[in-house]
Amino acid sequence: MSEAGTLADLGLGRTAIVGDLAFGEADRVRVMEMGFIPGAPVSCQRVVPMGDLAVYQVDGALIAIRRETAEQIGILSSADERAASAKRD
Amino acid sequence: MKEQPVPSATEVRLPDRQSGGVRTVAICGPPNVGKSTFFNRLTGLRQKVANYPGITVEKRIGTFELAGGETVDLIDLPGIVGLHPRSEDERICMDVLLGAREGIPRPSAVILLLDSTNLQGHLRLVPGILGFGIPTLVVLNMSDDLQARGGSVDADALATRIGVPVVAASARLGKGMERVVSFLEGTLAQPKRVELPVLNSIPAERQWASGAALHAGYHAPEPSLWGRRLDRVFLHPILGPLIFLAVVVAVFQCIFTLAVPLMDGVEAAVAVSGGWLGTLLPDSVLKGLLLEGVWGGVGAVVVFLPQILILFLFVGVLEDSGYLARAAVIADRSMRAVGLEGRSFIPLLSSYACAVPAVMAARTVENPRDRLATLFVAPLTTCSARLPVYALLIAAFIPERPVLGPLVGTRATVLLGLYAAGFAAACGTAWLLKSTILKSKPAPFMLQLPPYRWPTARSLSFRLLDRAKIFLRRAGTVILVTTIVLWVLASIPYQGGEPPAIGDSVAGSIGRFLEPAVEPLGLDWKVAIGLITSLAAREVIVGTLGTIYEMEADESSPELQAALQAELSFGAAIGLLMYFAFAMQCMSTVAIVRRETGGWQWPALQFAYMLALAYGSAFVAYRFLG
Repeated sequence: MSEAGTLADLGLGRTAIVGDLAFGEADRVRVMEMGFIPGAPVSCQRVVPMGDLAVYQVDGALIAIRRETAEQIGILSSADERAASAKRD
Repeated sequence: MKEQPVPSATEVRLPDRQSGGVRTVAICGPPNVGKSTFFNRLTGLRQKVANYPGITVEKRIGTFELAGGETVDLIDLPGIVGLHPRSEDERICMDVLLGAREGIPRPSAVILLLDSTNLQGHLRLVPGILGFGIPTLVVLNMSDDLQARGGSVDADALATRIGVPVVAASARLGKGMERVVSFLEGTLAQPKRVELPVLNSIPAERQWASGAALHAGYHAPEPSLWGRRLDRVFLHPILGPLIFLAVVVAVFQCIFTLAVPLMDGVEAAVAVSGGWLGTLLPDSVLKGLLLEGVWGGVGAVVVFLPQILILFLFVGVLEDSGYLARAAVIADRSMRAVGLEGRSFIPLLSSYACAVPAVMAARTVENPRDRLATLFVAPLTTCSARLPVYALLIAAFIPERPVLGPLVGTRATVLLGLYAAGFAAACGTAWLLKSTILKSKPAPFMLQLPPYRWPTARSLSFRLLDRAKIFLRRAGTVILVTTIVLWVLASIPYQGGEPPAIGDSVAGSIGRFLEPAVEPLGLDWKVAIGLITSLAAREVIVGTLGTIYEMEADESSPELQAALQAELSFGAAIGLLMYFAFAMQCMSTVAIVRRETGGWQWPALQFAYMLALAYGSAFVAYRFLG
């Protein structure tokens, strides 16, 4: 797995793995409680351009988060994704 | 947990009720797992809602009668996402389970409700909840959804893994509830106890949950195809906001077109029945008190009910169907511009009907500071009780001339202007609060989008009943008491066995006493009396002015309009409109804010702020327009 930036960079329909969480301790716990636990697969389901929000599927739930929050959630590219991009290349 | 002898099914019983006490069972679980539906299913109408003392979390306790006639108290605890209490909700849940909440005995059993369509995530809570050492039943709710979407779970295997009974159920359809009842009766078979690990971090909890789910043969359901399709529409860049607007307009339409005839009907029914009561009662002081004080007060309360019920029906459908969360996503951008968040839009929309349900609806806003800001600004938007006052003053002082073609005249423009003024004041105040006393550190904004579901008539009616009860008890009591007190003030002292003219009554003296305060606004003692009486509900001023001028009290009465024209200057009338737009001229709202914030501090600040805004703008209007 390799570093692939933050959740905000994850394109519509793409999947990645949750990486580092750049939050203070309390917010870090909150974010993990919503399912963004390092190592969990996350996919971008919908981008809401008007709202500056995106909807992610993580741990069986759909969560809408603001872009600024998504920027604090690191992602690693998942094996599936790398396999898929290798195929494309 | 210590190693314990393995009890057989018949030996394990919930602790018997203590001498004279009632057994208490706590229901807990994450948000959006159908806890209220489950709770309603068990308790039916035998439930009470109150606040935990000093704080704003709702305390919901219901009773369930066992076959033998014994009763169990069920506590519906607020939703928790973890066992690391930071919010008030989570702290309450932990305190109750520890037996550390005053007035609530430590539960003798716990029902942990989980969503079976998201079991891996939710099982995470199991070791922590079992760690409290209270006999527990785990209910895998929404098992109908799980099946329908091709998932499955072996409840018995899970029970063996975690060492407490597990029941698959659907509270919505009433399936599996008989096994929950067996648990309450103490006859549900207990699996062998198991020692669960103590987990200190969320990743560890989550890892344990994966193992447990695997052990229980859990197959996660397919993502709902319909859910994806609906989200594609409701969160579409163009369609989404359009649908959102259409929903808002529909709510407005229903509040005004559907509710208004109903409200008129209720008003007429109260008037007719009052008249009928009048013929039955002998003439006496008591008759006046009963008819004009009490009956009038009851009328002033129930007239708001149709609108509030329609509003809550709408909000209920939106919330239960899952659309509300999508609407909050759409509204987030505009709400954010004034420092609030997407979920604030429901309270603000509600406040166009009435600020009381709006303040109650502010509970959906998670962040406590955003919630305070939302309920602080809600009463500034134009509620329906302002409309009769606006109608009377506009008809009396604004000559009708076309502005934009023949359809939009000066009067409609002024009315729209008043709506805009209220909206602008609400936005400006929210911004002001969020950049000063309610400024909060930027916290991650996350909103779970629950799966779409058909709202059930059952859950909607429970919700309506619940809200109507709170409205009648909180707002109703205040309006009733205020009406009676004001009637008494306007009816004493008796002179020669007759009630006094209003100018000579105690209310009249109060009006005269206040006259110097309203003089800078171009108003006199008569309007001052109206400003006092309309503290019960804004529209009461119309009736009061009618009484003072001794003419028919109706906002469309030409005599009353003429009397006002003779009394007030144009600038004073515009000032009075502004005053009603901004002042917290409503004791019910004060009472509900006190309930929702758990103290007098916020309602007092809100009342003072709105009074200052109202007085200031009325003063400016009178100065400039004369």
